[in-house]
Amino acid sequence: MIPLTITSSGLAQSLLFGVVNGCIYILLATGLNLIFGVMKLVNFAHGELLMVGAFVAYEVTTIAGLNPYISILVSMGSVALVGIMLEKFAFRKVRGTEKLNEIFISLGLIYVFQNVATLFWVERYNIQIPSPFVGLSLPLGEVLLSYDRILAIFIVIIILIGLVLLTKKTKIGLAMRATSQKSDAAMLMGININRVYTFTFAVGAALAGAAGALYGIILPFNPAIGALPTIKAFAIIILGGLGSIPGAVIGGLLYGIAENATGYLSNGTWQDAVAFALLIAVLVIRPTGLFGEKGE
Amino acid sequence: MNKRILAAVAIVIIIAATFVALWQLNVFAPAPSAEARTIKVGIVAGMQTVEGQDIERAAKLAIDEINAAGGVRVDEWHTNVDMELVLVDTVDDGQSSTAGPVTRAITDQGVDLLIGGATTGGTLNGQIPAITNRVPYIITGASLNLVTRRGNLPTDNPLYVDDAEGMSYMFHYCTTIYDYSKTVAHFLADSVKPTIDSTYSFDSARKLRLAILFRDDGYGRGVRDVTASIINDDILPIEIVANVSYGTSATTYQSQLISVKESKPDAVYVAGFTADTAEVIKEGINDVGLNSLYIAVEICEDPQFYDLLKETGSNQILESKIATQWQGNTWYLEKVGTYVENYKTKFSGKVPGMLGADTYDAVYIAKNAIERAGTLNKADVRDALETTDMPQSLLIMENERITFSPGTNYHEILPKTFIEQLIWNSDSAELKPFTVYPDSMPGISSFKQKDFALPIDYEPGSP
Repeated sequence: MIPLTITSSGLAQSLLFGVVNGCIYILLATGLNLIFGVMKLVNFAHGELLMVGAFVAYEVTTIAGLNPYISILVSMGSVALVGIMLEKFAFRKVRGTEKLNEIFISLGLIYVFQNVATLFWVERYNIQIPSPFVGLSLPLGEVLLSYDRILAIFIVIIILIGLVLLTKKTKIGLAMRATSQKSDAAMLMGININRVYTFTFAVGAALAGAAGALYGIILPFNPAIGALPTIKAFAIIILGGLGSIPGAVIGGLLYGIAENATGYLSNGTWQDAVAFALLIAVLVIRPTGLFGEKGE
Repeated sequence: MNKRILAAVAIVIIIAATFVALWQLNVFAPAPSAEARTIKVGIVAGMQTVEGQDIERAAKLAIDEINAAGGVRVDEWHTNVDMELVLVDTVDDGQSSTAGPVTRAITDQGVDLLIGGATTGGTLNGQIPAITNRVPYIITGASLNLVTRRGNLPTDNPLYVDDAEGMSYMFHYCTTIYDYSKTVAHFLADSVKPTIDSTYSFDSARKLRLAILFRDDGYGRGVRDVTASIINDDILPIEIVANVSYGTSATTYQSQLISVKESKPDAVYVAGFTADTAEVIKEGINDVGLNSLYIAVEICEDPQFYDLLKETGSNQILESKIATQWQGNTWYLEKVGTYVENYKTKFSGKVPGMLGADTYDAVYIAKNAIERAGTLNKADVRDALETTDMPQSLLIMENERITFSPGTNYHEILPKTFIEQLIWNSDSAELKPFTVYPDSMPGISSFKQKDFALPIDYEPGSP
């Protein structure tokens, strides 16, 4: 057995990488949280939207020759359209019925998305979106951080600022917040609930699309990549508090740091287990999560 | 009198000539049996994986070649019959995905034999129905030799199979972690260590510092253990300074790479699959600043690996058993060149991968065995496979011949693997492999294409 070498600089590097990885999780978790917060819908197929986003960005980058960072916008738009269709033709049909119906629809969608994606992209398994910054890194002390990862952090920040402005400064944002607090009252006040739900799902899906494009620029992906990020995104929103966007941000960072630090301190073997143990601990000590309010 | 003798001789000659002509036309041969039918070859391939698609394409190529050349002679039926590809789609070839399709292929589709399999975990489960139903199975993937040695495991081991007769139907036509770890360890001792010592003026008594970064599964742990034992048994001047694992579901490896970096290695042996190995190398160099020598294993001998790595992979190392992207005007084995060209022609320019080559050979091994058995009786085919003795084909063998080791549980081959160094060509913007070790291979006197050189930004480990 070879003993692990643990140093403060190594730990610092590991924490920094945790922050970077956390940023991608945040984007996915925020979309999931938005949908849950407004629609009270638990969508286990949310990670599949990330996968679709990655493939859309790949196609427009390689076929149309778009810059991959421009392709993020195309990906957001395309996945938002997919989201609108899902909300209208799948989830709306079972709204108001047993919660299990929604859950089973979302579980079924996982396989539908994966199989359809495999059918379309089976020849391009484990691909990566070509970036113009491949191989370029910025030295930060002893750590190197690739340009693509740095850009990912900035893009996530910009998207989150946009999301806050959307929810706080626009009419539709006000309607979303009203619906999230009390949907019946919002409807009585003249808010078109169906429109709000469709718009919310589209925004959540667009966030997943952006996460997918960023994921695909940084890491190789395939039709099966959606599953694990979904579980992590759920862990993050439970950690941060269901329905809370700041909670998703803090939860994402905490999860990324915990995951990476554990990987460094435990030789990788316990990486996922410890990160999820942290989640269980938060649930036991504070069931509403770090920033969550007691629900209805 | 003379006329009568001459007439008699002429008649005899005419009768003899007629007899010979009829003989040549197979008039006296027995008519083909009514039982004659195509030979159903079950190709076990996970079609949601690039390896599975490669396996299926290679099998199709071999079967089409055999059928075009007249098929397979089956003496029992007094005729030649075609081979028929029965795809046994194991989806992702995962542990839980293989047993069902293999069972259906045996019981519903009635395959005569099975060829294929990619992952060890998938094959260990997928081979059970073949063992139980006594169906010959030439396993062309699975780098752990457990697939042929389960009968020799301790009886309390969950993988133990108490069925020596059933296990005797298993044949392993694939390199194992032992084969390639041996090549890697000896390459490090013979080529890398002297280069580092001379470049950095290290004392020759200094051992090469090796870090092993491996998937936390049977395959990865196997590579770790086997490498340590080879270094120990062969008394190689190598010290393992880090054994670091990563989860099979991991997508980033930075934490593990930081640990590896802190062990100050001279080289990093990565026991992973295509996508994770490429990502390890990219993150190691671009994010962690671990400017070391990375060694990937043969599962990465796939066009996808080169695409994922691109320029970052320049001067890094790939252990391999078939150089499908051979650089040079003349192929190191003519057969490999023909295979690659035919494969590309048949499948729209696709470059073949590594596992398909094993499968291609295995289809010909099956043909050879069936023709020698003269029947499709599975026990007879099994017996014929045991006595296979063919010239080496796409894979290089120690004695230049394909034979399976004797014994009921040890149907293994004696393959030779080699080392390639990847070089980035900035003009064509492509990463290309060149053989650097060993100098020669069985039947190939001049095999090495270039001398091994350290990567440009290489940093050695602790002095």
